[in-house]
Amino acid sequence: MKNIFLNTTLIATALFCFSSCKKQAEDIANIYKAPILIAAPISDAAPLCGAIKGTMLSGKTYTIGCDVIVNAGDTLLLQPNVHINVASNSAIIIKGTFISNGTQASPNWITVDGVVKNDTPGADPATDPAFAGKWKGLYADTSCYLMVLKWTHVEFGGSALGSTTAPKIANTSNTTAFTILFQNYKGSFVMEDSWIYGGVDDPIRISNGQIAMFRNTEEKGGLNGGDGFNVKGGTVGDMAYNFFIGNATSGQKVSNKGQPIGAPTSYVVMYNNTFVNCGYRQIQTGRGANINFEEGAGGKFFNNLAVNCKFGYRVVNTPVADTAHLSYGYNYQYGDSLSVANQFYPVGYITRPQTTDIPAPAYLPSNYTLGSVYDGTSAVQVGNPKFINYPLPVTGGVKLRDISTVGSFNFRLQAGSPCIGKGYTGINLQPLKKVAEDPVYGVTFYPQPGADMGAYQFNGYGNNH
Amino acid sequence: MNFFTKFSTKHIVVLSLILFLNLAATAQTIKGKVTDSSTGEPLIGATITLSGTTEKTLVRLDGSYVFKNVKPGTYQIGIDFLGYESVSNPITISAGQNATAPDVELKRTTKELATITVSTGLRADDKSARRLEKNAEFVQNILSQKTIELLPDVTVANAMQRMSGITIQRTSSGEGRYAVIRGMDQRYNNTLVNGIKIPSPDNKYRYVPLDIFPSDLLERLEVIKSLTPSMEGDAIGGTMNLVMKSAPDKFLLNANVAGGYSTLFSDRPFSHFSTSSINKQSPAEINGNSYSADPNGDFPKGNLLFSPKKNPINSTLGLTIGDRFLNNRLGVLVGASYQNIYRGSNSDFFLPNAQPTTSPGNDNIPVFSDIYIRQYSTQTSRLGLHNKIDYVFNKNNKISLYNLYLKMNEYQTRYSVDSVLAIQRTGPGSGNVQITNRSRWQQQSIYNATLQGDHQLTSNFKLNWNAVYSIAKFAIPDMAQYAVDHAVYTDPGTGQISETQYITQKMDRSWTNNKDQDLSGYLNFKYSPVLLKKTIDISFGGLVRHKTRDNYDNRYVLNPVLVGGAPQPFTDFQSAQYFFKPDQGKGNVTAVTFNNYNFKEDISAGYVEAKLMATSKLQILGGVRIENTQQKYVTIMPSTVDAKEGTIHYTDVLPSINFKYALNSKQNLRLSYFKSISRPSFFEIVPQEEIDENFNIKGNPYIKHSRADNIDLRYEFFPGAADQILVGAFYKNIQNPVEWYVVSAGGPSAQQISPQNPPSNATNYGLELVLTKYFGPFGVSANYTYTNSKVTTDKLYYYYNNGQKNKVQQQTRPLQGQAKNIGNVSLLYKNQKIGLDAQIAFVYTGERISLVSPIYNSDYVQAPYSQLDFSLEKKIVKHFSFYAKVNNLTNAPAKWYINQTNTFQSGKDILPQQDKDNKILVQRDIYKITFLGGFRYKF
Repeated sequence: MKNIFLNTTLIATALFCFSSCKKQAEDIANIYKAPILIAAPISDAAPLCGAIKGTMLSGKTYTIGCDVIVNAGDTLLLQPNVHINVASNSAIIIKGTFISNGTQASPNWITVDGVVKNDTPGADPATDPAFAGKWKGLYADTSCYLMVLKWTHVEFGGSALGSTTAPKIANTSNTTAFTILFQNYKGSFVMEDSWIYGGVDDPIRISNGQIAMFRNTEEKGGLNGGDGFNVKGGTVGDMAYNFFIGNATSGQKVSNKGQPIGAPTSYVVMYNNTFVNCGYRQIQTGRGANINFEEGAGGKFFNNLAVNCKFGYRVVNTPVADTAHLSYGYNYQYGDSLSVANQFYPVGYITRPQTTDIPAPAYLPSNYTLGSVYDGTSAVQVGNPKFINYPLPVTGGVKLRDISTVGSFNFRLQAGSPCIGKGYTGINLQPLKKVAEDPVYGVTFYPQPGADMGAYQFNGYGNNH
Repeated sequence: MNFFTKFSTKHIVVLSLILFLNLAATAQTIKGKVTDSSTGEPLIGATITLSGTTEKTLVRLDGSYVFKNVKPGTYQIGIDFLGYESVSNPITISAGQNATAPDVELKRTTKELATITVSTGLRADDKSARRLEKNAEFVQNILSQKTIELLPDVTVANAMQRMSGITIQRTSSGEGRYAVIRGMDQRYNNTLVNGIKIPSPDNKYRYVPLDIFPSDLLERLEVIKSLTPSMEGDAIGGTMNLVMKSAPDKFLLNANVAGGYSTLFSDRPFSHFSTSSINKQSPAEINGNSYSADPNGDFPKGNLLFSPKKNPINSTLGLTIGDRFLNNRLGVLVGASYQNIYRGSNSDFFLPNAQPTTSPGNDNIPVFSDIYIRQYSTQTSRLGLHNKIDYVFNKNNKISLYNLYLKMNEYQTRYSVDSVLAIQRTGPGSGNVQITNRSRWQQQSIYNATLQGDHQLTSNFKLNWNAVYSIAKFAIPDMAQYAVDHAVYTDPGTGQISETQYITQKMDRSWTNNKDQDLSGYLNFKYSPVLLKKTIDISFGGLVRHKTRDNYDNRYVLNPVLVGGAPQPFTDFQSAQYFFKPDQGKGNVTAVTFNNYNFKEDISAGYVEAKLMATSKLQILGGVRIENTQQKYVTIMPSTVDAKEGTIHYTDVLPSINFKYALNSKQNLRLSYFKSISRPSFFEIVPQEEIDENFNIKGNPYIKHSRADNIDLRYEFFPGAADQILVGAFYKNIQNPVEWYVVSAGGPSAQQISPQNPPSNATNYGLELVLTKYFGPFGVSANYTYTNSKVTTDKLYYYYNNGQKNKVQQQTRPLQGQAKNIGNVSLLYKNQKIGLDAQIAFVYTGERISLVSPIYNSDYVQAPYSQLDFSLEKKIVKHFSFYAKVNNLTNAPAKWYINQTNTFQSGKDILPQQDKDNKILVQRDIYKITFLGGFRYKF
């Protein structure tokens, strides 16, 4: 009897536990939550640190002493003529809204105090402050819905983001080294008439977002890699009248890599951009260009002007760009040397020569297949774009890669430039207009495509720098 | 000491009682009886010896034995039986009087903590393994020492694959490392040494790399597939128990020495690097995190200078010495094993782009970014040292001390030629080629010390305790890699191939190390009252374990210096120049990550179980175990960061019940149910991060531990001494399995791959067959396991709808590592006349997922793999034998596929080695044949 009793007890215990012990087995986790910093009012009296919000006033100089953060729901607004000096390798972290409302007459500055630029042609990148990452950058988290930069100088960014003081930003690592990061496909990124100087990795990385990037100037973008405006999966918008000189890799690059679930396919319309001497610091063989479309990305590129770039306009084969939704033509190229002309249609890519390309691709062999090697001898030094002040072919014993800033050059067009009037202004080329127009909180206005090649229209339209 | 003295006194009282009884007898005969301590069955055939004489007798059918015409005096009666603890009892016999020795109940030498063993001499063979399997209270399979010796394998991991229901996960050199038990990934299994859980040196997971164990330290290898309450509950697939050699009952000396060779290195040299320039600590560890590492001084280049080594010779050495002293009270065994093995593989590997491609009408097509042709050269040196000391105070009190030290150094060179398919390539013959050289010195060690005591408190009350200290260490100091690249162009007109200059690319240097330290105490009581003429064993007890783990990780990326503002041409590695991008040489940037953490885990468990014979044929063992888990992790991250630290706790109630029904003396039917758990690894709980181009990998402190209901049914038939037929079926239902997949976290744009608990349970069921049959000099040993598991997780699906779009799509698939069909067949030949043992062993592992992709339909599936190995042992003269092991006779390539229509057999995206229309080959490894031959000395 006792045996049976014991057996029954055992079985009963087992059954009881089987049915009721689930609750006790629940994992009870108590995981640390970082405190939300309370935003302090902005003062120019002492270096700023921690959470900030509000307005930076016209005419004042502010110092950022350590990482600052604009909390979700908060706004940091820079009135015209605000000067920010970032010290101590800090970052400006934006979980809320960031507006820098500079004007042509009163631009804003986000820079580092006391750094002297070294724009001597051929300066050693190892010691050039442009690539030294004097501060981290403007880092928008996924909660940032609006970032606007108008008439703003952003300089010397790109030191490693690190993690010692920053609240963790999504999709970054300690060694992330962008100057500006935006990452919200439901949010808007506007950059107009601004200057970006130097940088370590991509000067501007849009992981995803709705973008409007007009009339900006970028110099010395990226140290030994990095694309000027590098946009990834889920980015839609316009890039026009931008001017690039001395970028490490590409000027404007679009990919659909890393597309968030539910985000649109990357699609960017590009027109009237100018690229000079780009692609020479990229260490990976065969990379670096002016415009690059790859991996599922679609869009348009017309009326662009590329001068002495290491590679021509690139459409990537593997993983292939969305060629069904990619159109291009009326793009102008000029090369001093054979090595440049031999890559007008870069080897290994699938950029389709267009009859509207300048120079016309007549120098290609009749049996030319996309991406194959060809002899570009007859295209060398054809069609000097006749900039107001920039010697072509480059003279004075400097190499093409040595000139990476505007300095005293002037890349506007002389009268009689072959670039004038060659652009496409038809109905098939219109900006996407993904961001609403607003003098402060949106796009000032959407520029129309220009008839002259590149960022500077002979009639003064386009890039105002 | 008082404790022991007390019991010794008691023992003397008992002894004198026996003596008194003996004195009352009248004739010079000694009688006795020997039975199984748990079943009460007579142990027919057990050997009984009388010390100081040559007298020897066997236990008769009724369990009794008798010595006649014994001279007066005091003797030791020795009782030995296969698979049981030996016992030696004193007896005194006077002239003209008979003596009846007290009845002896022999205890089985099961893995249970409740036993210590005094004798090993006879336990090492197959017969005793069968006996153990037959008599075990739970479902288990055993490989005996003799079987292991004769196997073609020199590590425990490789020996494991011969067992029923087990597949092994191999390293890049083809060496087995982890065991998948019945389709359950290594994460769901645990590893014990002599019944004691040991920590893993692994840098991420809890599971122990089984290739660290040289197989010649083992007495036997047990895989336990159903748990009882007295066993730790964190095994869903099973528990692997490595029973190490223990002190013998008489002098023992075994030695072996062998040399060998891998034919892989007759085709190409072994690539060797020197470790002399390697700093054991990273620059930030030496100088502090604010130190800016010097790209030249802090990163000596010695470990990236490779030299060829022609025809490297493998060697293995083993030595075991044991004896008993102090009138057999003190037993000592010391064993050492050293292996130095050169292995390698030639591997073709096609790297899929993280995101598939789409085009109008084509969805979710894999696209490849690189063709890697890799050569691995791996030198593995293993050192195993262990010793066991046991001391028998008296019949009722024994203690033992076990020490185990294992150290494995792995020196691996990886030479890769990477044909870059991504970005600029028109087809074969043109594109970028990147060459990378990597050196990796991985050090792993495990030390375990177990002090164990066994005390018979009263005739039916026993105590067993263990005090355990273990430490497992892992380090990869200065893993180093550099790369160079260049482009190859083919002129379509002339067909002329031109190559551009080699350009220096990045150099990676990293330091990782971790340390797991366990302090444990086990206490087990066994009370065996007789109720209604039946003995009931009631066991209860528990354990506490305090684990501390430290993890360090620091990775540096050095960039090639731009020369004159342009990429740096590569001439030779010594003259390559590197620098750090701003701040990227500082520990503040590279070493302040979630990967630097401290983890504490306290486990406390208690159990109660009872075992009884419900009827004369039905044994029931059941009870419940309660395990409480308390975890705390603290990372180096600052207080501005979420999840920088956390605590987790949970309590599990784990009931189990095992029925064993003896159909007759040779056949058993078993049914068992048990509940078990699996704790996520430290690496999964701590929110460590790895940033990939497309996917960020991140730990998940909210991950829940897995729980499983397991049911086993097994029929066993032991027709002859070493013969067996086992047929079993199992079913497992796993709640909160841990699977890695993509989740959106934090914001609309934050996608990451994290360990998750999928919303639905995973299930796993299967069937096992084992057959061992000897006829004359031949034997066949075969097993087959069918497994079917299912788990459903989220995956990413890319499709084309006016441009590339993606969505989450669920996919149901087998568990990672589970093969539907696995089997082993070994043919054995044994000729005792000429002293020859030979074996051909064949292993088959069916198709299985080796890597789960975050993308729908894109898992890496390893094709069915079979390997044929051969081994033999031949006696030369007394004590001496020659042995040989030949692995991978057929040089079977290991292949991995993505199971999708193969569009890569032609055209510009053509991939090499493709051999199937409906599958894309993504990896192919060749290991070649390895030989090992040597001598064994056994005394």
